[in-house]
Formats: sequence, C-alpha cells, structure tokens
Amino acid sequence: MLNLIVILPFFSALLLALIYLSNPKQKRYQLYTTIGVGTILTITLFSLFILLEVVQNGKTLHTTLFTWLSLGELQIELAFRADKLSVVMISFITFIGSLIHIYAAGYMKDDTGYGKFFSYFNLFMGSMLLLVLANNPIIMFIGWELVGVSSYLLIGFYHKESANITAANKAFILNRVGDFGFIMGIALLFISLEGSGFSFEDIEANIFSIDSEKLSLIGILLFVGAMGKSAQIPLYVWLPDAMAGPTPVSALIHAATMVTAGVYMVSRYSFLYEQIPDVGVFIAYIGAFSALFAAIIASYQSDIKKILAYSTMSQLGYMFIAVGLGAYSSGIFHVFTHAFFKALLFMGAGAVIVALHHEQNIFKMGTLKTKLKLIYITMFIATLAISGIPPFAGFFSKDAILVTAFASEHYTLWAMGSLTAGLTAFYMFRLIFTVFHAQAKKEHSLQSLPKSMTYPLVVLAFGSSVAGFLGVNSAYGGDMLINSFLSLPDRVHPISHTTEYILGSLNVLLALGGMGLAYKLFAKNPKEPQESTIYKKIVINKFYIDEIYTVLIIKPLLLLSHFIADVLEKRVFDALIDTTVWLYLGASKQFIKLQNAKVRYYALYILSGLSFISLYLIFKLGVIS
Amino acid sequence: MMANILTTIIFLPLSVALFLGLFRADLKLLRIGAILSSLGTLGLTLLLLSHFNPEATQMQFVVNHAWIQNAGMHYKLGIDYLSLVILLLITFLMPLLYLYMLKESRKGYWYNMMLLQTGVTGAVLSLDLILFYLFWETMLLPIFVMIGKYGSSMRQYNSMKILLITVLGSMSMLFSILYIGYIYFETHAVWSFALSDLSSITFQARTSIWLAAGFLLAFAIKIPLVGFHTWMAPAYGSAPTPAVVIMSAIMAKLGIYGLWRFGFGLFSETLKFYEPTIIVLALIGLLYYAIRAITETNLRRMFAYSSGSHLSLIALGLFLSNIYAWGGSLYFIITHAIASAGVFMMIGLTYYRFKTIQIDELGGIASSAPIFTFFFAFFALSIAGLPGTGGFVAELLIIIGAFKESFIIGLFTATTMLSAMVYIFWMLQRTLFGVQKNICEFKDLNKKEILMLSPLVILLLVTGIAPSLFIPLFEPQLSISLNEILTLTQGAN
Amino acid sequence: MSPDLFFLLASLLFSLGLVGVVSRRNLFVVYMSIELMLSSINLILATLSKLLGDGSGSVMALLLIAVIAAEAALFLAIIVHLYRENRTVDSDTFNDLSEVK
Repeated sequence: MLNLIVILPFFSALLLALIYLSNPKQKRYQLYTTIGVGTILTITLFSLFILLEVVQNGKTLHTTLFTWLSLGELQIELAFRADKLSVVMISFITFIGSLIHIYAAGYMKDDTGYGKFFSYFNLFMGSMLLLVLANNPIIMFIGWELVGVSSYLLIGFYHKESANITAANKAFILNRVGDFGFIMGIALLFISLEGSGFSFEDIEANIFSIDSEKLSLIGILLFVGAMGKSAQIPLYVWLPDAMAGPTPVSALIHAATMVTAGVYMVSRYSFLYEQIPDVGVFIAYIGAFSALFAAIIASYQSDIKKILAYSTMSQLGYMFIAVGLGAYSSGIFHVFTHAFFKALLFMGAGAVIVALHHEQNIFKMGTLKTKLKLIYITMFIATLAISGIPPFAGFFSKDAILVTAFASEHYTLWAMGSLTAGLTAFYMFRLIFTVFHAQAKKEHSLQSLPKSMTYPLVVLAFGSSVAGFLGVNSAYGGDMLINSFLSLPDRVHPISHTTEYILGSLNVLLALGGMGLAYKLFAKNPKEPQESTIYKKIVINKFYIDEIYTVLIIKPLLLLSHFIADVLEKRVFDALIDTTVWLYLGASKQFIKLQNAKVRYYALYILSGLSFISLYLIFKLGVIS
Repeated sequence: MMANILTTIIFLPLSVALFLGLFRADLKLLRIGAILSSLGTLGLTLLLLSHFNPEATQMQFVVNHAWIQNAGMHYKLGIDYLSLVILLLITFLMPLLYLYMLKESRKGYWYNMMLLQTGVTGAVLSLDLILFYLFWETMLLPIFVMIGKYGSSMRQYNSMKILLITVLGSMSMLFSILYIGYIYFETHAVWSFALSDLSSITFQARTSIWLAAGFLLAFAIKIPLVGFHTWMAPAYGSAPTPAVVIMSAIMAKLGIYGLWRFGFGLFSETLKFYEPTIIVLALIGLLYYAIRAITETNLRRMFAYSSGSHLSLIALGLFLSNIYAWGGSLYFIITHAIASAGVFMMIGLTYYRFKTIQIDELGGIASSAPIFTFFFAFFALSIAGLPGTGGFVAELLIIIGAFKESFIIGLFTATTMLSAMVYIFWMLQRTLFGVQKNICEFKDLNKKEILMLSPLVILLLVTGIAPSLFIPLFEPQLSISLNEILTLTQGAN
Repeated sequence: MSPDLFFLLASLLFSLGLVGVVSRRNLFVVYMSIELMLSSINLILATLSKLLGDGSGSVMALLLIAVIAAEAALFLAIIVHLYRENRTVDSDTFNDLSEVK
C-alpha cells in the first residue's frame, strides 16, 4: 500500500499523458477527471489507512521496491519509509491535495489542456510523495528535483504568454540553484559516511563519526536546497512570479506541498541539525528575515495572488525559525495548519478571480461580501487563522514558534516574529476588507461558480478552525498531541505559563491592532498604493531585488557568453587556426611561381638539380678522384 | 559462426554497400539494403550479447589473424563491456537513423552511412593499434563527404576544417603508434602493434610523456576538450542530421573510449602527469561551453556546445580515478548518446518543417504540435539531467566521485546542475512556447517519427528509473581496471 | 685515336641539346635538341662498347636507334596534332596545368 501511494500518481500521470497525446484536441472531461481526481482520492484513503496503522502500532513501516543503484559503496534502494513524520506529512498532503484536485476539476473545466493539466498535477503529487516517503537522501533528492520539474510545467501551463514561461524558468532555475547546494550536501555526506550505508537510519546511526566542521558545511549546503524550494532569502524571487500558473497550482504549490519540502527536509535531518545548533540559528535568522521582508512587501502589493504568495513566504519564514531553533515539531505543526488556511485562501482567491472574469487587482474589486457570501465567510475564517486569532488554527502553531524563540532567549528573532505577526494581520485584513467590504469602483457581472469549487472551501474552513487543537500546549490546557506523536528530537525550553499567557495575548493584541489599522484604511474607501515616497517606491518595487539580480547575475552571464562567442572563439581559437592557414597559403603562393607549366623551366630545374648532385658527388664525396 | 561474429558485425554494412554499388542498385534497393544491414548488425549484436559471458573480465570473442606479418600488424578484434556498450549504441541507433532518413533520395548519403557504420564499429572493436588507426580514419571520411556534400551553410569550408584538424590529431597518434611499435621491436626484436603486447612495455618517463601526448591530442580533438574545439560548432552546424547524431552520439564518445582503452591501457602511469591539466581543461570546458551556448541562436550549434560541455564532464569523470566517477562516465556515455541523438533528430525534424533552426525565427510550437513538444522537451530536459532519465544518474555519480577526490573539484563539477539549465530552459521558452512567428503550419509528428523516437524515450526512462539493471553489469570490470591503475600509480610513487 | 675525343664530342652534343631544350621554344627545335642528347648517349654507348670490348653496348645503341625512330614518329605526330589544334608550335603556350596564367 505504501508503494502504491507513490506509484499510483506517477502511473496515472503517465496514463493521462498518453491519453492526452493520443488525441490532444478531443475533450474527454469525464475520463480525465475520473483518472486524475480518482487516483488522488484513492491514495488519500491509502494514506489515512497508513496513518491509522502507524498511530496504532507506533512503528515505522518500510517497503522496498527494488535496488535503484548499486555501485561501489553506493547502494541505493528505491525504498519508502512511513515513520511518524512522513505519515503526518502524507496524510495532509493527500487530503488537501485531493481537495485541490476536486477544486481544479471545476476551475480548469473549460481549458483545452484539461488532460495535460491533470497529468502534470498527478506528476506533482507523485513527486512530492516520493520526496516525503523516501528512505534515503538520493531518492529524496529525485523527488525533490521532480517537484521542481513538475512545478515548472505547471507554472508555465499557459505557455502562450512568454512571461509565464519566464516565471516557470525562474522557478526552476532558482530551485536548481538550491539543488546545487543540496546535491553537494548529499555528496559530501555520502563521502563522509562511505561504507556504512546511506539510508536515513544508517546516517542517523553514524552521524557522530563526522567532525562538526564538516557537518556544519553539510548542514548549510542542505539548507541551501531548502532556501530554493521553500523560497527563503535570497532564493525567493521565483515564488511571487510562480503565480503565473493556474490558481489550483498556486494553492497546491504554496499550501501543502513544494514550499513545505524545505521545512520537511530540515526536520527529516533533525538528527543532523541537532549536532550543529549554530547552523540552526543561522537558519532561524534567514527565516525571520524572510518572514519580515515578505510581510513588508505584501503590505504594498495589489495583486491578490501576489499578496498571498508573499504571505506564504512569510509563513515559511516562521517555520524556519522553528526548525532552526530545534523546535521541529512546532515547525511541522505550522506546516500542517498553514496547509489548511493557505489552501483555503488561494482557492477562495481563485474563486473570486473566476467570478470576476480573471480580475486580480484587489483595488478593482469590492462589495463582494453579499454576492459571494460563502467565499467571504470561508476566507474570513482563513484570515483569522493566518493572523493568529484564537481559537483558529494559526494561533496555536504560531504561538508555539514565538514562544520557542522567546524561551530560547533569541529575543531578536522573537521581536521580528511578533512584528511580522502584526503585519500579517494587517495585510491579510487589508485584502479581505478591500475585496469584500469596500465600495466597488464599478459594478461587476459575476460568473457563477461550480459546486466543485465551493465545497472544498467549506471543508478547509472547518479544518482551519479546528486543526490547531491538535497541538494545544499545556498552558492552554492541551497536551501537544502532535509533538508527542511526531517524537522528533525537539529542544525543549521550559517557560512559565504566565510568560506564555503574556506572549500569547501580546500576539493577539498585535494581530487585532493590524486588523484595526487595516479596517481604518481599507474598509471604506481603499486607495491603491502610490509610489509617493522613496520608501513606498522601494517597497512597491519589491526592494528592486529582481533588478539587482538581473544586473548582478544575468547581465554578466550574457556578457560573458557574448565575450566567449565574439572574442575568445573568434579572436583566439579560430585565429590560431586561421593564422596557420594564412602562413600556409602565403608559402604556397611563393612556391606556385615555380610551377609555371613551361616544360623548359622544368627541364632547367632538372638540370640544376642534376648539376648540384654531380658537383656534390665529385667534390664532396670524391667519386672522381 | 560465433568465431567470426565481430568481423561480420564490422564489415556487414560495408560489404552490403560495396555489393549494391557494384550492381548500381536503384534507390529502393539501396534503402532496403541499408536498413537490412543495420537490422542485421543489430541482430548479430543481440546474438553476441546472448553469448557474452557476463562474469569474464577479459576480452571475449577475440579474433587474431596475422595481417602484415613482417611489420607485426595483426587483424585483432575483441570485445569487453565497455566496447559492448558502445557497439550496442551504434547498432541500436543505426536503424533509427535510417528510419529518420527514409525519404532521402541522394544515393551517396546511404553509402556514406554504411561506410560510417563500418568505420565506427571497427574502431570500437579493434585491439591492434594500426587497425584501430585505420578505422579511426575510415570513420572520418564519410563525415567529411557528408558535411561537404550534403551539409548546409559553408559546408565545404567546414568539412575541410574538421578533416584537417582531426587529421592533425590522428597523425600525431600515428606517430606515437609507430614509435611504440619501434620500441617494442627494439626490446623484443619482433614487430607488434597488438595492445596486449604493447601494454607490457615500460617506457622511459620522458619518452612516454611525448608518446602519450600524441594519443591525447587525437582524443582531445575528437572529444573535444576546450581549446581543441574550433571544428566542433561549424561541423555540427553544417552537417546533415544523421551525421550530427553519429558525431555527437558515437564519435565523440570514441574519443573517451580511446582514452580509456589506449590511453589508460598504455600509459596509465604517464597519464598521472597529465591528470591535473585535463581535469582543469574539463572543468573549464564544462562551464565554457555551457556559457557559450546561452547566446547561441542556431539550435544545432547550441547543442554542439552542449555536447562539448557534457563530454568534458565525461572526460573529467574518467580522470577522477574512483569507481563512482568511472561508473558515472561510462553511464553518461550511454545516456548522453541516446539523449543527444534524440535532440539532434528533433532539430532535424524542426528544420524539415520550418526550414530554419534559428531560435529567433521559431516559437509557439507547443500550441500547434503537442506531441512534438513533448518529445523535444523530454530530450532537452534529459540533456539537462532531468531526474528519471539516465543523465541524472550519471551526473549524480560523477558529482559524488568528484567530491571523493576533493571539495573544490566537487564544487565545480556540481555546477553541471546549473550550467545546462540556463540555455536549455531559455531555448525551450523561445522555441516551443510563446507565439508562433513562422507563418507556415507546424505539423505534429507522424506515426513514423513517433516510432523512431519512442525507443529513445523508453530507453532514457529505463536507464533513469532502474540504473541497477545496467551499472552492476560493468562494475566488476571497472573495479579491476581501477585497481590495476591504482596499484600501478602507487608503485610509481 | 684517343677515346677522349669521342667523350668530348658526346658531352658537347649533350650540352648543345640540353641548352636547346631549355632555351628554345619551338617544339621542333626542342625535339631536335632531345634527339641530339639521345645521340650523344648513343655515341658514348658505342664508344665504351668498343673501348671495353663488350658487345652489349653496341647492341643497346642499335636498339636505341630503333627506339628513337619510333619515338620520332610519335613525337612528330603529336607536334603536328598540337599545331592543328592551336596553330602554333611555341612550347610556352601549352601551359594548361599552370596555376599562374
């Protein structure tokens, strides 16, 4: 069953691709939906079974398909392992994934590439599950890479617009920059442990044999991979652009899968990061900076999907604060709750976009509160959750992270996190108020939405409300169910309940403050941000990071390429050959004069040659003495 | 039957060509003859495979006849895993190439392809240096003719260029071969050019450095390492598609093969002297070609540079004497051959439809031809090392091998993850996606073309999903050769 | 009679012929000069045969005369043919193989 969870999506992706390619023009809505959505529903059931099994037995499940590669000491099995961490991951990945699949069946209904879309979608799910279930770093890396490839395909799904492909390229290339670090980390890890097996268990058992300097290097290199995949500074620029894909893709990439892979990876290697707490602090700081940075940018965006994209990046920053400080369970817990409300937000945004005939600028929307009542309510719940208002899911997970930061005496991290929490509430409510409350600039004729697009929202809204109760900590009368279940090597920092209450209420106050500010500014008559001051100009242009990258990396690369083509190739390598040829031709022009095709000259040459030989024979060798 | 199977495999295409030429066969007969000869060699190779002893690490099916007795030249053939791999590649690709050029009406084209097959097969299987040299030059001739006669822009200039530069390399190799033979004659009082005899010679250090240089020059030009590559882009750019496929998929790999078989076979100690130079050249080549490819606007030339980049990686793996890098190199030979054959065929098909392969004149193919897009993107991505295709496995192994050697080499080798990415993805964006610029209609692939490309796709997937089917096969031989080299070089120290 | 005189005559004839071949342009004169050189060789052969008392030299000389006769027939025919084609017997005009015209 564990094997099937990974194999089935790949298989259905292949099947869909073949059916689609056999006749791309034909519409086979029923068939594609059955295969595409059916597969994911099936594996959701399977993963629930496995979850139950693991919960009951508390044991790790192992299955091996076949030996993938064996050369020297490198024995890589295509094997899966369902321990507590990966079981939690797959169950919400498949659960939310299947909701997004159902939603996509409605969203993409009229697209000509419907079959292709589900083929890519299933490929994406398969890759993500491969990543999560892999029992050794190499197989995990394959899943990791395939996630990148399928995200490329999905982001560039509307391929007629060249800009969309640019976004897809950007996503893939930046992911690859991360993978560049990741593969180096894996290779170093393998070389350091050569000969003692390379599954996660083996690595965990032998991790002490590596000296800490090398281990830090490995830890940092692996984290570079996570930076790329989870869109952290400085490799985040692909994430906002990735909104070029269809909205279900954004929901899938940003909610349950892909971007969370980095957090999962760090938790998977928690035994390694435990040895190197300094690298962990570095990770936490990267996370905190990303969180704050993204929240600032998000407050000045006007594209609904881009706001959500930056909010994803910001939330991922929280998760990295958690895993960096050794609170792996809290990180995973935030991944888990975030999956619900972020999927909901994206799907709600997608519904709004479809209803308004593909309008994405929030300042051109308004007064949708009554017209899209269901969407308004569900999105409002999600916004409460992401802002950390109790008792919704986000409060508990975010609180756990901030408490960890405070308790481990990283007050800077804590302050940045709290500030971000306030900002989060501000920009999220700014979105809600502008879209649903504010007066519309013009009347919209709304397009009706299919049921498959609205029902999943209700399910997710329910999840966003209650998912947090899985990890209520003792201060609030819970027993941190998810932490004890995951049993990761968390670093625990004891802290009094009073402090926790103070921190918790401070966060709620900050969130309410942000909410109030948003209400004041945007509930009645919102204004689109203008580039009036330098500060605003910089923030609206996203700190000019894209432009800086263009100048620092792309331009020099192109210049170098032109330099090689025009100077090195032509002036050096070709010139060497050409000079030889030129010398040769010059010499030949001189010699050609001797060959004038006049017989008597030839006779003369013969004569002179003979004379020389004769003279040589006579005087030098003395033939006639 | 099995005794002469290697001879038959080598000379079947040539004798079919001679026979058909003698009777001035018409085009139809010629076509059938060529295809049958390629299928025949494929069948024979499979037969050979079934009799191949997977346990043995020695040469198998050895044929040894005196050829020119006085000068010690032998007609000596043999096969081991490495040559078997390349032989399988050749015999597998040839029928597909004939399928590709099925509509070709110029007779000379077909004759040249058959001669080419004999040349490359002979070079892979010969174990006598003079014989090897003979085949090595034989395979150049058809390429020269095909570029010069059937190529595109500046074809005669470019064919002359590849001929002269390659001959420069092979002349230096011939000199080395003859001198090695002479050294053998001096010590043993008999002439011999058989590899097994010559590898027992111990050279003086100075002599062997120069002799090795002769071989290295030939192989460096064939691969080509950076600095020896002026012929590459022009030749790839103007050669007809089947010739490009053979050049990139087979002939360039023969440079690597030669380095392995004859370079390491004769001079494993001396090569230590060249090792740093070649590793540096290969690392430079890896990035140099890839960066050059970014702004190239001609698809065929772009993938010529891409080929150069990846072959530098293969050469690098060969010189990082450890099992992972070697396994990776060998595996890359297979997978890169298949992927580049696919890419160059796709480029040929693009030209066939649009009459241009300039990137800025293409675009929007995905909208009108989804099947074409699938195949093109698949091959391009497998060149870039898409996981699930064989190239990924090979790159992974070479990177691990490089890290085993040193962190710095590993760091530079790992850039292969990035280097191919940039030009391939930008190229895909401009050719397949966006809006179609060319006004004529882009027809999707027909059944024949799908039939021709599918085996390549399937093979790439199989090599990527289950490398354990292939790699353990040649592991024993690799580790034995590796041990030999390691003990030799340690003995020298 | 001293054989030296014969050798002297032969060398003189040969040199005359050689100078003729190199310097003259009329094909007939060139031909005559070649004949002159051949005759000088014949003379040497005959002289040496007499001097050494070996008949083979004379035999060869006689054979050469026959060859020269045959050659004359061919050579003259070629010259006549060339004249018909080009209306000239100037050897410098026949330079079809020249690279520099």
